[in-house]
Parts: sequence; C-alpha cells; structure tokens
Amino acid sequence: MEFQSNYEILRTAEFIRSRGVSRVALQFPDELLKDSTQVAKALRRELGNGVRLYVMADTAYGSCCVDEVGASHVDAECVVHYGHACMSPTSTLPALFVFGKAFINVNACAESLHQCLSISNKPVLVLYGLEYAHAVQDLKSTMCKLLLSSESNQKLYYSEVACSSINPSGYNIKDKEQPESHGDAIADGKVLKTLESGVTNKLESGTKYTLGGLTWITPLEHKMEDYLLFWIGSDNPAFANMVLTFNGCEIVRYDAEDCKLLNDFSHQKRILKRRYFLVEKAKDANIIGILVGTLGVAGYLHIIQQMKELIERDGKKSYTIVMGRPNPAKLANFPECDVFVYVSCAQTALLDSKEFLAPVITPFEAVLAFTRGRQWTGEYIMDFQNLMTSDTGEIVDDNEGARFSFLKGCYVEDLQPHENNGDQLERSLALAEMTEKALNVRNQSTDTVLFKGTARSGAEYLAARSYQGLSMQYENAPLQSYVVGRTGRASGYENEKE
Amino acid sequence: MVKFTAEELRRIMDLKHNIRNMSVIAHVDHGKSTLTDSLVAAAGIIAQEVAGDVRMTDTRADEAERGITIKSTGISLYYEMTDESLKNFKGERSGNEYLINLIDSPGHVDFSSEVTAALRITDGALVVVDCVEGVCVQTETVLRQALGERIRPVLTVNKMDRCFLELQVEGEEAYQTFQRVIENANVIMATYEDPLLGDVQVYPEKGTVAFSAGLHGWAFTLTNFAKMYASKFGVDENKMMERLWGENYFDPATKKWTTKNTGSPTCKRGFVQFCYEPIKQIINTCMNDQKDKLWPMLQKLGVTMKSDEKELLGKALMKRVMQTWLPASTALLEMMIFHLPSPSKAQKYRVENLYEGPLDDIYANAIRNCDPEGPLMLYVSKMIPASDKGRFFAFGRVFSGKVSTGLKVRIMGPNYVPGQKKDLYVKSVQRTVIWMGKKQESVEDVPCGNTVALVGLDQFITKNATLTNEKEVDAHPIRAMKFSVSPVVRVAVQCKVASDLPKLVEGLKRLAKSDPMVVCTIEESGEHIVAGAGELHLEICLKDLQEDFMGGAEIVVSDPVVSFRETVLEKSCRTVMSKSPNKHNRLYMEARPLEEGLPEAIDDGRIGPRDDPKVRSKILSEEFGWDKDLAKKIWCFGPETTGPNMVVDMCKGVQYLNEIKDSVVAGFQWASKEGALCEENMRGICFEVCDVVLHADAIHRGGGQVIPTARRVIYASQLTAKPRLLEPVYLVEIQAPEQALGGIYGVLNQKRGHVFEELQRPGTPLYNIKAYLPVIESFGFSSTLRAATSGQAFPQCVFDHWDMMSSDPLEAGSQAAQLVMDIRKRKGLKEQMTPLSEFEDKL
Repeated sequence: MEFQSNYEILRTAEFIRSRGVSRVALQFPDELLKDSTQVAKALRRELGNGVRLYVMADTAYGSCCVDEVGASHVDAECVVHYGHACMSPTSTLPALFVFGKAFINVNACAESLHQCLSISNKPVLVLYGLEYAHAVQDLKSTMCKLLLSSESNQKLYYSEVACSSINPSGYNIKDKEQPESHGDAIADGKVLKTLESGVTNKLESGTKYTLGGLTWITPLEHKMEDYLLFWIGSDNPAFANMVLTFNGCEIVRYDAEDCKLLNDFSHQKRILKRRYFLVEKAKDANIIGILVGTLGVAGYLHIIQQMKELIERDGKKSYTIVMGRPNPAKLANFPECDVFVYVSCAQTALLDSKEFLAPVITPFEAVLAFTRGRQWTGEYIMDFQNLMTSDTGEIVDDNEGARFSFLKGCYVEDLQPHENNGDQLERSLALAEMTEKALNVRNQSTDTVLFKGTARSGAEYLAARSYQGLSMQYENAPLQSYVVGRTGRASGYENEKE
Repeated sequence: MVKFTAEELRRIMDLKHNIRNMSVIAHVDHGKSTLTDSLVAAAGIIAQEVAGDVRMTDTRADEAERGITIKSTGISLYYEMTDESLKNFKGERSGNEYLINLIDSPGHVDFSSEVTAALRITDGALVVVDCVEGVCVQTETVLRQALGERIRPVLTVNKMDRCFLELQVEGEEAYQTFQRVIENANVIMATYEDPLLGDVQVYPEKGTVAFSAGLHGWAFTLTNFAKMYASKFGVDENKMMERLWGENYFDPATKKWTTKNTGSPTCKRGFVQFCYEPIKQIINTCMNDQKDKLWPMLQKLGVTMKSDEKELLGKALMKRVMQTWLPASTALLEMMIFHLPSPSKAQKYRVENLYEGPLDDIYANAIRNCDPEGPLMLYVSKMIPASDKGRFFAFGRVFSGKVSTGLKVRIMGPNYVPGQKKDLYVKSVQRTVIWMGKKQESVEDVPCGNTVALVGLDQFITKNATLTNEKEVDAHPIRAMKFSVSPVVRVAVQCKVASDLPKLVEGLKRLAKSDPMVVCTIEESGEHIVAGAGELHLEICLKDLQEDFMGGAEIVVSDPVVSFRETVLEKSCRTVMSKSPNKHNRLYMEARPLEEGLPEAIDDGRIGPRDDPKVRSKILSEEFGWDKDLAKKIWCFGPETTGPNMVVDMCKGVQYLNEIKDSVVAGFQWASKEGALCEENMRGICFEVCDVVLHADAIHRGGGQVIPTARRVIYASQLTAKPRLLEPVYLVEIQAPEQALGGIYGVLNQKRGHVFEELQRPGTPLYNIKAYLPVIESFGFSSTLRAATSGQAFPQCVFDHWDMMSSDPLEAGSQAAQLVMDIRKRKGLKEQMTPLSEFEDKL
C-alpha cells in the first residue's frame, strides 16, 4: 500500500483519465528506475488497456525537467514525471508530477521549527523540498498545538505547493503580457505584484513569490530579507537555487534524514562569490559558446535568441552548440570559446566549471557580464523565464571608454560592436572571408591568439592554430609505404602487453 | 614668493631654452621635501590672488602626519638670473628669465613607481644625499633609474648643519666624508657610460655638486666661494674653483698654494680653509651670540641684516644669517640652470629612449628638435585624482608640438600596435591646465618642453598613454615606463555591507588609475585583491580607496596574502602517463627543474617565445648547457605564454604529433597557471614530452581528449619530481648605529631573515646591513624593528628573488604541507591535495 501512495497511483490514473489521453510517457530518474515496471503495471491495472504507457529514463539533460523530446518520440500526449522536479514550465506537453513521499519525523521537525521561532526575532517562512510536501499539513497542525501551548506571538508562514501538474503554456512572446491567464502555469521564481485593483485577483494585497514549485505571498510592506527562511529537505539543487536566489536572507536548513538543524552555509556563499568571479571572467571573453541544455523548458528558444542578441550588442561573437550534459572533454573540443552560457532549467544551471577549460555561466550571469555599465547588486536570478521579462538593455551605456578588467588588473579596450558586426551576417562564405581577414591581420603572435583569448572569431582562432586539419594539397605529396597499425584494445595494445 | 599670473607663466613656457624640468630624488629621510620647500619659499610661483595663504608642498594630510612624501608633486619655480651670473653660461638662452618645473618625489622604496613616473617627464635630477648617511640603497636605485632614462644628475650633499651642530666635525674629516659621498655616487654614475649624454659624474670643482642644509635653508656651490675669492686673490674664477677642492692646500703663513700638505700647522686644504672654516666660524659665532664679533664679519662678507633680524638669538639668528649669506635657492637654482639641460637640449639624446618608432620619421625629428610647430607628441605619465570626485587629470609632458584646449587628440594606450585599432581613441581635450602650486590654472595651450595636465581624457587613459594629433596616424607611441618594484604584497578586500559592492568596484577602478603600481584583481574565489609594492604602499592605497574613492563606505581587509610559486627539485622519478577520457590517447611526460638562472632570464625577457630560434638556442647552449637541437624543440612558455616554465618535445617519430601540439600547449598554459599543489603559478619547471600514443582517427584525438589529458599528465609529472614551494624574499637594507645592531639581528633571526652583508660606513658610527627576509615574515617587520632598536633602525625592503622552501609539501605535517593546506583553504579548494593516482594512469 505504501507503494501505491508513494507513487500516487490513484491520483495519476485520475489525471490521465480526466485528460482522456491514450499515450502516456512515464519519466523516471535513474534512482527510481527500479520501480518503473511496478508503477507501469499498477497504472495499467487502474487504467485498463485503452491507454498505452511508455517508461522513459536516462534523459539527455537534467532528470528534473520534463523530457518533452523523448516523450514526443512515442507521440505521447502527456508525461508523468517521477521524483525530484524543478517544475520548469513545459512548452508542448502537459505533465503531472509525482514527487514521492520522503519520510519525515514531523514532531522532531516541529520541535526544531519552534526552537527557531523562539530564537529569531524575524518572522519565519517555511520552505521545503517537494518530496516533503505531503507532511506539511501534519507539521502545520503540530505547530499550531506547540504555539498554543507556548503562547508565542511569533509569526509563522508556510509556502504552498503551487500545483502538481503543468499545462504547456505555449509560451511565446505574445503571451508575455498575461502570464497569469493560464490557470496553473508556473513562472518559476517570478515576482508578481498583485494589487487589489486587479479584477482577477481578489487576494489581500501582497507580493507573490514562486520558486521551484513552491509559492507564497508576503505582505507588500515586507521584503524577503525580513524573513528567516526555514528549509526542510536535503542539500540538493533546489536548496542551492533557493539560497542563491535569496542570498540576502537568513536561512536555516532542517535535514529530515538526520533530524538536524544546520545553519552554516558558507559553502553556498562561497559559490556566490565564485559566480561573481566567473562573471568578471566572462567580461573579458571575446568568443562565447551558447550551450543549449534543454529542449523542453518553455521559452528556451527565446532566451537563446536573446543571448545571441545580447552578445552581439556587446561586440562579441557567439556560437550556439547543442550537446547533452556538458562535461570537460566535450567542451574542450571548442577551445576557441572563452566562456559558455548554459541555457537550462534553474536547477541544473549551476555547473562548477573548475575542471572545465572555459567557465560555464548562466543566462543571468551573461546578462550581467555582457551589458556594459551593469553591476551586480547581489540579486541573483536562476531561471531564465524571469530574465526574459526583466528589464534588460535599459542601462545607459555611459562609459564608452576603456573597461576595467579585474582579471588582468588593468583597463582593457573592448571591441566596438558596430565595427565588428555591421556587415557580417551569417552567410555561407562568412568563414572563408573571416579566415582571409584573420590571415591578413596576423601580426599578433599566434600564442596570444590561442592561449590568451585575443581571437575574435572561430576563424581567427583557426588561422592561428599550428594544425588546421587535413590539408587539401595532395599533388606533390611523396608516396609513403603503408605501415602496420596497432592491434588490440586502447587499454593496452598488443605490442605493449608485456 | 613670486607673484605671477597664468599669462606671464605661459609666456615663459615658449622659451624652450629657458626651461628646466627636473626631479628631486633621494633616499627616504635625506631631506628632499625640506630642501624643495626652501626653494619654493624663495622662487615658487603662485597665482596673485592666493599669494600668502597656501603652502605648496603640503598636499596630503597623511604625508605631513607621517613625515614622508607619498605622491610626487610638481611645482613651478620662476627665477631671474642676473647678467653678471650668466656671463659664464655657454648654452643657448633667451633672456634672463627661467622656468624650473620641479617634481618632488617620494624616497620610500614602496613608492618608487612615483619616481619612475616623475623621471619620465623631467630631463634633470637633483640627487640629494645626507652627508652623514651617505649613498643609500634607494639613492642608488633611483639614480640608476634616472641614468637609464638619460636624466642628467647633479648632486647636493645635504644636512650640512649636522656637521656643524650635531657632530662638530673638524674640517679635514668633513672633507673626507663629503669626498666619499661624492665618490660613491660617482661610482654608480660611472657605470653608465653614454657617449650622447657625456660624462654624468659630478664634480664639486665644476659646480655640479652643492652643499646644502635644507632645514636651515642655505646652500652653496664652490662657485659662490670662488667668485668671492677670485677678486680677492686676483685669480680667474675657474682656477679658484679648482683650488677649492681636491689636493690643494693653502698656508696662510706663507700665502702659498701647494698640492701636498706641507705639514705646517697652518697649512690647510683649500676647501677647509676657504669654505668650511668660514661657515663654521659664522655658525659658532651666531650660536654663541657673539654679536660684537659677528657684525664686522658679516660686513666683510657683504651681508646686511635687517634691524629686527639683528635681535634674534642663537639658532634663529644663525639660520637667518646663513640664509642671507648663502641662500639655498640661489645656489641650487643656479646649479640647475647651469648644469642641467633644457628640454631642447635633452630631447636630442632622449629621443632614442623615448620613441618606439623609426628614429628618422617626422615624429622622432620633432621630439629631437623640441619643435613647437611639429606634430604633437605628449606622454601621460600619471593620472592625478581631481578634486571633483571620480575624475582625473592626465598629467604628462609635451615633447613636441602644442596641446591646446579643444584639440582632438589620438590616444595611444600601452597596448596600441601601430596600424591596428586596438587601444586607440580619438577624443577632444576639454581643458589644458597648468599647475600653479596647489591651484590649477587653465591656459589656451601648452608648448613642447613643458608639463601639462589635461582634463576630459581620463576615461580613455588607463595609467599612461601617448597623445598625438588626430591626423597623425603613422605616429608610434612613446615607450612605456619600466618599474623597478613589483606588487608582491596582496590583501583581499570586501565591503562590510554587501550592497556596497558597486561602490567597491568603482573605487578599485579609480585606485588602479591613480597609482602607477597598484594592481586590483579578482581571485578565482571571487575575492577582490589589491596588490602593492610593500606594506606601507598598500596601507596608503587602502586608505585612499576607502576615503577618497569609495566615499567612506566601510571595507574589510584581510591579512596580507603572499603568492607562492610551485617548482620541482629533481627530475621526475619515472616517466608518467595519462590517458585521455576515451582511453585512446596517451601522453608520457617528465618534469625537471630549469637550469639555475634560466627562469630569471625568461622573466627579464632575454629568452622568450618571440626570440629568433637561433639566438635562443645560442643563449641556451652557451649559458645553460642545453643541447643545440633541443633548444629548437621548445613548444611554448607558460603561464600566459611568457612565463618561466616550458614544454619541450623529446619524442622521436611520433605520428600526428603536430596535430596535438596546440592542445598540449593549451593544457600546459592552464596547468602552469594553477599548479598541482595549491593552484599557484609554476616556476622553473621544464616539461618534457617523452612519448605520445594517439588514436588513428582524428576525431578521437581532438582538443576535448588531449587538453584535459595534457593538464593531468603535467600535474602527474610535477608531483613525481619532488615538488617544492617557492616563497618571495625581500632584500632588506637597514642603517643603524652600532648599539642597535643586537636588536636588528634579534628581529631578523626571529623572522627567518639572514644577514649577508654588514659594513660600517667609513667615517660614521653607522652600520649598513643587508639581509634577505621572506616576504611573508615582513608584515609588521618595520614596527618590530623600530621597537627593538628604540627607533634607530629603519628598513627598506625590495622584492629580490624566489627562494625554495626546503620542506616537502607532500610529506604530511611538514611546514610546506601546512602552508599548502592553508592556501587551499583560503582559495576554497579541497584541503587535501588531489593525489597522484588521480592524474597518472597505468597501462
């Protein structure tokens, strides 16, 4: 029975029936794959043979996102997503999320929360990992009792799970003015000002926050910094996302597995500083690779376009690369890129790129880095949906002189955008032309082009390389006798065995 | 104080033969600023309306407080020579009016970059040496810098008053001391033989040495006395000059000159007899208040005192009398006018040092001839913060042409390459300004040979730049300045309130602009770093940052951080191998230390990536015993393509090797920047590529496979070659009396320093100590030393070399291992080093 409730078989069946769909994809993360057949069986028992179920695993990108491309391979009409989810809006398919139910000792948790309340003089806001959403009601009632008995007048707020299913928003620019129009679409991390004057929204006045599937409303006069955030859950990407987004807040984490309260987050703070460094580094980049890290999250095409424009406006060159999960070996195949912008869902966006040849940054960081005159004020936006609506390009370019590079510790001059891009639209001959140009102005040392990032385009980089691929000149090549190659496996060829 | 308007000053600026641009250089505490003060008091130019209420040299509160100069300050002096005194002047001149642009520079070694900037825009230098302490380390450093820039020096032996009052030295002894000081200075100058500059040594008998007492405001050259005695003895002035110095003796009893001491008690050296003794007599008479004797003596000398001055007593009387008799300004200014070159004269030979382009193009010629009608060539040597926050004056020297308000100029930055658009701007000068003491006066234009401050270009000039006319697209820039110190002391700064970050960023940018030496960077961990030449320099920079550039927003400053280097002690114990991620490619490598002296040669640029391979292999084979063929197989230098590490190809007959060269080099650039121990730069390591096995298919041996592998194999070879840490070491020079020596040795011992030279200064009770001191131990060294010697010892520290720490960082618990752990912790890395097994693969 526990299995039934953990995987919410009944609710899932109800969802599928209510939609009247006949082809459903069940998406499992790797760690839950072992239960997939059982889940499929149980569902089939409920639904009968009219509905075809497909199990999907090993997603190309993060397993927290809905794999719409995978689902469309089997023409699925909706997706049921199991396990940890980032709740990024989908672009074509409706999806149901089953978070699973992790065990939590509600009494111990309430105890810690109470303790927290008594120490802090700020109101406390309870946030949690979605896998603990099932226990929140219990926690609330337990806390009520506790607070009654101790007569504390501390304020306590809870966040709600926004929804457990997503309809495709059909997200495009036209819809942007009315993001609330489609019932339960979620704009992750977006801050919506809902005022009393609104007809549709008769809530008490307040600021509505949503983040990673949670939503809460704070009174208008309160800022997030006024709250103590109480997080229930493990130290996972969802938590990191929250810490970075609300980096100005006081945060404590209750670890449900160890029943412990933790409040040392110097590690996360360090990450923030590290990101700041990456932004500074990105400012020095000339060539930027845009890594497409999602093919599902709503609006990804739009943000890629926006990134391209942003980079071009800043006089830099961008290349768009689609690959699965980035790793050092894959990215090192593009040594000409000085920095990569990783367009993906909020919870996979942060890559610690220490092992990478070039750093990988998020779209928000790219906006900071490539908008001249813009400075980081401490705010941090993890999700790109929010970037699309946020004000970009409004910073007046007041400083046309040299830019200070903190990496080099001196002022450097940036390329002038108009000079560089005026006549160079993507054309089939662009590469050839650029190569020619690059060859002409090759009085810089090739070393600085190759290893100090002074190249302005891939072609210029190529021109500087000592090896540029197979040469086309076969004419006078002397004939060479054939040689016997190696045999065996790469771990040790046969002639190396002893 | 001369009262002057900007118009009058502007008029003299056109007389290029009557201008002298000069800097005052010396060791700290030898009395530069005091001496400058006495000159300014007599001849400084001040705008009419503010006459009387400013003191010119007092520019910064902290300078006054600490009693040291921090920033170099420029002051213009006006001096009108009499026809009489100019009759011996052989050079070109127009009229008797002279404009002397004087720059007072700091003496503390931490601020030597200010001196460098000052020297670039001047043609002559007044070297001030304390007559008791003699030529000190900083005197030597700045003198060498000056001569390197082809700056002609004159010397003044300062603090003469100490001889008479404090030490009460006898004439002959004093002469010997002075002689030694001059000789020491000449020894340094003699090493710079330069046919164009001519003999740069200084000789009292030629009038290029003055004797001064800055504190009391008097000074003389032998010319003063020669003039006085020439008429009396009826000999030629020049003849008399020669007699007043060196082995010339006079016996008043016989009234005869000899070249040897006759042994008679009345026979004395000319200098003692005619210069030293009379001064001593006057001073003693004044100090003893023997006014009845004094007045007749003064009358004889032709000195008349005002009646109220006659009432003075003791020291004050002496000061007044000496100032009237031998005014410092007259002696020193005349020496400068006579013996230092005018811009027109100096630029003839300085053009070679200054101009980067061909020496026969119009720009070189215009500089050479100091041609006001030629194309503009202006060098901006420093940026001076303006009173209006956030803006800067671009301060520099016009070498040819004229710069005027509203002129469109071409700004060539330090990275400008002729023919390219990099680091190049065309902008208009908003205002041209000349410095009238503290106050700035706008002028229409400034002709060549003068210093000038420009408004409106600060956004486009980072630290220095060459300016020329808009149309002069062929002009090459003026050579960049070379600094003698490097920023080795670093601190991390952050703002107390997180939201002040933009202020901090802005402040750091301004700080970087305002000081030629400071470097503001950011660490991998995201911390902002400010690096300076020394503790004092850094302290001043941080103060400026907080108070002037951040509007007082609070900052948190970390303890000083020293950067280390990673090196190896021996050749790798075995050839190590790493496999690419796809396991299809293998790199085999070994590391070995570079030969002694080679890293320094690379640092100095004697060996580098852009050398002619033949020249390089010649140096390497002759000086460092390399095989000639091997020298041709250097793939690259690193980090930053120029650093003191290299990759050498030792492979034989490997297919496709040329294909992966760029990838290996990329991996090496990366690895040599962040060594395996604690991600510090590597230094002095040669990586030998021993063998390479590659996949036959090009797609499987691309950058993605080879770059990370090259990095890993480099780390593996570093770790198998007995890795060691290098720490930076200061050369410390301390001067102190004998009784302080014990304290000095104590402090040095406690700080891991070691003394390698101890010399008594001949003729003084002072000792000169040279020692090596690890930079990491130097924090608080000055104050500890002062405390241990009751303030008698004052150290000067300059970065000297990297020293290998003998302890093994791989041995758990060793000092180096602890250090590595601390550095890793600070950088936010895993505290434990990545083990060798992570980098090395087995077949």
